[in-house]
Amino acid sequence: MQKEQLKKWVNDFTDELYQWAFYKTSSAITAEDLIQETFLAAAEKLQSFKGNSAPKTWLFSILNHKIIDYYRKKNSQPILINDNLFSNFFEEDGDWKKGKRPQNWFEEEQQLLDDEDFQKVLQECMSALPEIWNHCLQLKYLSEKKGAEICQELDLSTTNFWQIVHRAKLQVRNCVEGNWYQNN
Amino acid sequence: MHLLFLSCYKATELMEKRFHLNLSRKEKIQLRLHKMMCTACANYEKESILIEKGISKMGNSPMSTSEVEALKKKISDKLDQYHAS
Repeated sequence: MQKEQLKKWVNDFTDELYQWAFYKTSSAITAEDLIQETFLAAAEKLQSFKGNSAPKTWLFSILNHKIIDYYRKKNSQPILINDNLFSNFFEEDGDWKKGKRPQNWFEEEQQLLDDEDFQKVLQECMSALPEIWNHCLQLKYLSEKKGAEICQELDLSTTNFWQIVHRAKLQVRNCVEGNWYQNN
Repeated sequence: MHLLFLSCYKATELMEKRFHLNLSRKEKIQLRLHKMMCTACANYEKESILIEKGISKMGNSPMSTSEVEALKKKISDKLDQYHAS
């Protein structure tokens, strides 16, 4: 009986779970592995699933834990923050460097977000980031969790997490501005 | 530097912090004042929000229907093994 139920869920939710895992890890192989682990974990825990939440919600929460574990393992090395980065953007007194001051992008927000070329530029700028920064940006969107909770799970101090996201954002924004306005 | 004034570096950091946590009253005032005086940081904030939205929108499944079916089969087989053991 339980076995049949699980199989139905495999059939109903694999697609969506996979999309989410792929989006979070940017790797087809990793995403497949994580989905398989998710269903195996579900098989083990099925007894304790009381149906208080929808099966889909339950499966997604298992998957999110798997994704966090995956990043935790990958990032078990201490994070080195490169202090040179700030001097790329700011003067010593904290003012923007000449040529690095954010310009007005003019286009309407929605127009940019719907523009496929703009999406492509954003994607390229994300993948140009050092891996750990990319992960931190991605993790911000994992489930409903707040940044602070996620950093705790990754054993990062809160300060560290801001710094990383701040740095990543400076870099991505600058990259998008450079590429988008050069080509348009 | 005056108590109420932030550097651009600090201002952009506070903007990031605000995505996750509530700022203190003092921080809010500092940030508002800074943005009134600094076009670059006002631009930065708008673009930073846009980037957040762009990232949360990103990423589609690269999997075709047949690949999804193959993965389902693989998982079902694994589950059979699991239940058999």
